[in-house]
Amino acid sequence: MKRTNQNWNYGLIIGVAFLFMQCKSASDVTPDDENELITTVQLNFTPENTGFPTVQTFTYRDVDGDGGNAPTKFDTVSLQANTNYTLKITLLDESKNPAVDITQEVKEKSDEHLVVFTASPASLFKYTYGDTDASNLPLGLTGMVLTGTAGTGKLKVQLRHQPPISGKVQKDGTPGPGSDDVNLDFVLMVK
Amino acid sequence: MGKMQATGFFTSLICLLLTTASFSQNQDCHCFIKGTVRDAHSGLPVVGATLLLVKSNQGVFTDAAGRYEFTGLCPGKYEIECRIIGYQSRRDTVNLTEGHEENFSLDEEEIHLKDVEITAHRTDAPISQPLTTLSGSDLARTRGQSLGESLQGITGVTMLQTGSSIAKPVIHGMHSNRVLIMNNGVRQEGQQWGSEHAPEIDPFVATRLSVVKGAAGVRYGSDAIGGVVLVEPEELPIDKPISGELNAAAFSNGRQGATSATLQGGVKGLNGFGWRAQGTLKRGGNIRTPTYFLDNTGSAERNFSLAAGYRKKGFGAEIYYSHFKTKIGIFSGSHIGSVTDLLNVIQSGEPLIKADFSYTINRPYQDVAHNLLKGEMHYHFSDGNRLKWVSAYQYDNRLEYDLHAPRNDSLATLNRAELSFRLTTLTNDIIWDHKPLAGKLSGQIGVSTLYQYNLMDGRPLIPNFDQWNIGIFGIERLVHNGWELEAGLRYDYRDLTTYRFVNRLKTTDHFVFHNASGTLGAGRNLNDRWSVRVNLGTAWRAPNVSELFSDGVHHGAAAYEQGDANLAPEKALNTIASIRYATDNLTLEVGGYYNYIRDYIYLKPQPEPILTVRGAFPYFKYNQTDATFKGVDLSADWKLSGHLSWISKLTYLRVNDVRNDAYLVMIPANRWENQLKYAWDSKGRWEKMFFALGNRWVGEQRRIPPGSDFAPPPSGYALWNAQLSGNLVFSEKKRVEVTLTVDNLLDTVYRDYLNRFRYYADDMGRNVSLRMRYVF
Repeated sequence: MKRTNQNWNYGLIIGVAFLFMQCKSASDVTPDDENELITTVQLNFTPENTGFPTVQTFTYRDVDGDGGNAPTKFDTVSLQANTNYTLKITLLDESKNPAVDITQEVKEKSDEHLVVFTASPASLFKYTYGDTDASNLPLGLTGMVLTGTAGTGKLKVQLRHQPPISGKVQKDGTPGPGSDDVNLDFVLMVK
Repeated sequence: MGKMQATGFFTSLICLLLTTASFSQNQDCHCFIKGTVRDAHSGLPVVGATLLLVKSNQGVFTDAAGRYEFTGLCPGKYEIECRIIGYQSRRDTVNLTEGHEENFSLDEEEIHLKDVEITAHRTDAPISQPLTTLSGSDLARTRGQSLGESLQGITGVTMLQTGSSIAKPVIHGMHSNRVLIMNNGVRQEGQQWGSEHAPEIDPFVATRLSVVKGAAGVRYGSDAIGGVVLVEPEELPIDKPISGELNAAAFSNGRQGATSATLQGGVKGLNGFGWRAQGTLKRGGNIRTPTYFLDNTGSAERNFSLAAGYRKKGFGAEIYYSHFKTKIGIFSGSHIGSVTDLLNVIQSGEPLIKADFSYTINRPYQDVAHNLLKGEMHYHFSDGNRLKWVSAYQYDNRLEYDLHAPRNDSLATLNRAELSFRLTTLTNDIIWDHKPLAGKLSGQIGVSTLYQYNLMDGRPLIPNFDQWNIGIFGIERLVHNGWELEAGLRYDYRDLTTYRFVNRLKTTDHFVFHNASGTLGAGRNLNDRWSVRVNLGTAWRAPNVSELFSDGVHHGAAAYEQGDANLAPEKALNTIASIRYATDNLTLEVGGYYNYIRDYIYLKPQPEPILTVRGAFPYFKYNQTDATFKGVDLSADWKLSGHLSWISKLTYLRVNDVRNDAYLVMIPANRWENQLKYAWDSKGRWEKMFFALGNRWVGEQRRIPPGSDFAPPPSGYALWNAQLSGNLVFSEKKRVEVTLTVDNLLDTVYRDYLNRFRYYADDMGRNVSLRMRYVF
């Protein structure tokens, strides 16, 4: 009986030792690290042949990412009718300090990305790709736009992320493969 | 699909009967059965156990040395039932005619000795709630499958799947934080809140998988709302010779292989010791639907467990360690960026990503490790009281890798997980079983504590937290006049502190949850055919951190989900009743339940969508309502002839949101399973041979809230399966059990409502599997 009591005591000591095994504290929070976050999309339109090449910029901005505070900026894309524009797109992650230039990263990984502009009605906005990736497939960071006659509609801007899947190349120049990293419906006004 | 044994009237231990039968020369009624009842965990005799001869209504008690004796029996077949309050009851058949010579001497010294070992295992389950156990050959026929898949043959139990590789058990329509899993007597603490987080348990560690249906909060504490899954290894083989088991399973679909080995025994020259070592390896490749392969659906798993124990007189100590490690590929076609992406896949009707067979696991994948270290000690006092202490440490490390690595090359080469959860849990349980009073009243009181902390890295999803919990409970059981009554009370107190960043500022929140639970139950054997059980039980669970603090797009569900820090605990009041009718030819069990859940937590659709850079997402917010889960479980096993039997199982469930007079999402559809089984007599070395043809019919879930989903629930389906099984016997101890199974025999194309990937792809096609189990 005495012997068993001793066993019991040893066990108790081991068990209590368990309770003090914590080594890292939950209160040391690591900052959020979202690697794909895009907070800001800028569409830079430069009109051609007008003699006044002023850049018009239309912005979507949601600095704290999905949810939280609502987007602080979501401009109406307002363009002149029957005009040629050069369109450059800028993508930023402004949640970080300094802001991360996602455009540069997309350029570096051009074989995995495709920017797609879709206007509805389609007659408002005709887009031609102005750049290509290493495989000579369109990329869409730069392009030409020819606006139609005056009207109102929507301009859908998509950044398709099309990385290889299980070693197989996905990008084929069409929007089909991959998934959206950006999918924004700007209001489009052609005057 | 094995035949389930519905055991479980009583709790606890093992009752070992040593039965001695004797016969008179002249067919007079001078036979007797006698023996000793022992608690196999401690090896001590059990005093005051009731032994019943089922048909003759004779009953005796064991004496101070655990002995009992029935005398004046006529030759014949007898069924003995051994009942001990606080232990699980067990029936066994003793044949007093077969194999005994007419000229048998009456002399006691010369009587024919027949050892009938009756093992009634410890379950701790409430006596008045339905308990279904999968063990032995039935369990062997599920080997190689995950825990969720193994349990789905039980009535009332279904699966919540994420593709074909991740399955969670669903009991009476409830899962995740509403189902508690007890792994070797310890609350499994992983990241259960996630519907794509499968239980981190290797079913090969268990020789018994049991399901307690209904709210069982008093004995098990929080989360036991829908039910409890018990994963139980065998008792350690103290002082026994070395024995073991080898399992191998091969599956055609996914070209998957699983193998597991167990070796166990006592230690020569050292009395009272026993040990066990067990290991499992599993590897699978891309799963095939009837018409295409699913890209990146392979998995790799390696697990092991070690146990050692010592027992002497009333004292026992045990140490157990298990390591579970899995890497699961997530179907790459399930990654979507926006609602448009999801609608495109749904419209296409099949995945946009095509694949061939491959074992390679690429992004996206999960890499999960779970470690459990458990120490247990008990002391059985000579007067019958018992003290048990279980202390356990769990470390769960879950890494989730998204399809897309960081765009930045230097970050991408680090190959860091986009989500990392590290959960550490310490639990302590001290349970005092008091000695049976007047041979009628037994019970236990206990204290359970839990301390837990979570460390989170990567994409914001759930916060870091510190949590501790204390629960005290008491349960008493009374056996009187054929009635078994049970009553219990419990009180839990939980303290939760969360740490997270809000707009780059560290924010701490503090929560206190507490709750009282109760249970009241009764069981009665009306006669040797009919028995009834009724239980009224409550259970609760505190809102989990994801329900409190979720704030973001749930990829895969294409929904913006937002938590609510003001949620109150969820409380369940469950009434469950079952009737069982058993004869030699027919076993019929019907159970009905009505589970009322107050403050049921669910995702409520909000009128306005949330705008993100990937477009507008439907907006859901965690909300509370009152819900009822009511249903019927029916199982029948009918012997049509000496060879042929028909097994039928029906699972019916209806769920309502009573506060809003509406339905709830993700409720399993009703199902009906039928099996015809033809069994052969032994042929040469082959024993227990049978061929079975089965069908599982699953209805279409029509009771869904309108406008809550991107696609309507898939239509119902019926799957055929076939099974050929037999045991090849080499000696009394050595045998090989072989089973050939074909699931989805006709390669039927189907999708299940409770498969979260039903938007993207069909379910698994035909799967031929061969299982072998060698016991030595």
